Amino acid sequence: MRDDALHEPGQALHVEDLTVSYDGAPVLWDIDLDIPPGVMCAIVGPNGAGKSTLIKAALGLVRPVAGHVRFLGHAVGRMRGRIGYVPQRHSVDWDFPTTVRDVVEMGLYRSLGWFRRPGRDARARALAALADVGMQDYADRQISQLSGGQQQRVFIARALVQDAPILILDEPMAGVDAATEAAIIALLKRLRDDGRTVIVVHHDLTTVRSYFDWLVMLNVRIIAQGPVRAVYTPENLRAAYGRQLAMIGVFDETAP
Amino acid sequence: MTALGDLLGSHVVRTVLTGAALLGALSGMLGAFAVLRRQSLLGDALSHAALPGVCLGFLIAGGRDLGAILAGAFFTGALAALAMMLIVRRTTLKTDAALGIVLSVFFAVGVVMLTHVQAQGGAASAGLGSFLFGQAAAILQSDLWIMGGVGLAALLLTLAFWKEFKLVSFDADFARAQGLPVLALEAALTVMVALAIVVGLQLAGVVLMVALLIAPAAAARQWTGGLGAMVALSAAIGATSGAAGALVSAATRGLATGPVVVLIATAAVVFSLLLAPGRGVIWRARAARRARARIGDGRILTALQGFADAHRDAGYRSEQGMLEAALGVPPPAGRLAALARRGLIRPVAHPPETTPHWELTEAGRAEAAAVSGEDATAREAPR
Repeated sequence: MRDDALHEPGQALHVEDLTVSYDGAPVLWDIDLDIPPGVMCAIVGPNGAGKSTLIKAALGLVRPVAGHVRFLGHAVGRMRGRIGYVPQRHSVDWDFPTTVRDVVEMGLYRSLGWFRRPGRDARARALAALADVGMQDYADRQISQLSGGQQQRVFIARALVQDAPILILDEPMAGVDAATEAAIIALLKRLRDDGRTVIVVHHDLTTVRSYFDWLVMLNVRIIAQGPVRAVYTPENLRAAYGRQLAMIGVFDETAP
Repeated sequence: MTALGDLLGSHVVRTVLTGAALLGALSGMLGAFAVLRRQSLLGDALSHAALPGVCLGFLIAGGRDLGAILAGAFFTGALAALAMMLIVRRTTLKTDAALGIVLSVFFAVGVVMLTHVQAQGGAASAGLGSFLFGQAAAILQSDLWIMGGVGLAALLLTLAFWKEFKLVSFDADFARAQGLPVLALEAALTVMVALAIVVGLQLAGVVLMVALLIAPAAAARQWTGGLGAMVALSAAIGATSGAAGALVSAATRGLATGPVVVLIATAAVVFSLLLAPGRGVIWRARAARRARARIGDGRILTALQGFADAHRDAGYRSEQGMLEAALGVPPPAGRLAALARRGLIRPVAHPPETTPHWELTEAGRAEAAAVSGEDATAREAPR
């Protein structure tokens, strides 16, 4: 199949036969996945299920052994500017010498192109994105002075500034307080209502049904995928989490 | 001072100073990126691995030819980097072990070659030993062209790819997701660091070169909040250390330049780590003490306010013993006096009791209310 031919353009994310392995052991096995446009989708699964690896492979950050990925019908290489990526907060050094606005402007480096510095327009767009996450007052702060929740919001602003139709977030709720989590979810729902596709790696089963409308359950293989109502069942949870489920204590949650 | 004037008047010393400042600036500039990308120790391995290359270049050129020596150093440095990468990928050893092995093996080979060449004699072979600990006095005027060329190329490259280098250093995964050629950009940064090391060998020597890479960057980070300012300041500190070290080494006899440069750069680091505003140890200790005092004062005020509220008497006179009981510890000596000096509380008598009593002033009541309000919003405060 040629890269520029459209393949499954009706899906925001289409993954087919994807297998990823580290040192010979499969981390993801034969993943077939479709996420329609305009949904807010959670990817859940136990530790080591390959959630982060799945989005890294989708974004081309991890090389798969087999399979292919399409965003709105295109290979990821042709969609770079149209996917906003929010990596895990702990993946970078927050003592890096830079300001909040500077980090957000990094989301515009691609569209600026080589040899051009961000100017007044980039500055305005960065400030607007910061306002979207309620961080406009922190634009000139050092990033080393931010709390965990503020770091997360800056990372989200960096993805928002691209104005991308697809957003992919890796554990955005990890280590943020309840107020920030609520603010983040409200923002993501607003983006979804604007017609964007929001894909979130999520670790908290108890909030899945209130936050999301689409669900992918993963444990090396795809356990189930579809609307949350249809996928969030005791059988599927047991298949994905096995014995861990009793410890997590979500069985009560599955009652209506 | 006349001695210094004489020294600066000398053509040789001017050449040495210029060279030393250039090399210091170059390693300071690129060292900032190396430190931020956590590649400081890779720099150490590369500089040690350059020694066999120096000897190789010397043997091939048949004398001290800077071009050949630098090419040789760069070649064995690259070989070491490649060996390290293969060890990490193909064996179960981790990066630190691979680094240690490669560093010592290449350095051992270098020392064997060095002693062999020196045993053979020859007028020029004596200068080879200066690559071990650096000898700025050995810098020739013709060398300045090579150093200047490398420095200028590194500067232009850094300016041209400034925002890309910044993004790759801060968040390589995001850069990759944006479609930037991260591998090429990282390779360019690493090659530039390797070049800076190779050219800097004459100044600091293979053993201590890494300090000239790390120290200016570590010192500069303390004073600055932006990457541009950090890189510029790091280059300035590197240039100053290099020039000062070369000057000291030239003014005295038999003092290798490398250790002197490193000691000067280290002094800058110690000074910065202790005293820089905002990040220095002493500054932070003072800020922490102030914060502790502020929190303690707040607890005293709210405790007094609490007694007043409990007695429905705004002017309630609280006994100091009650304050101690409420706080769990006696209020630190001087804090009550300090609060009284600020006009927030005042000592009062409460006959017939003879023990000390305190009462909140109007300002104290306002402050107590402000402190309670602050506690409620403290959750979102920056760390």
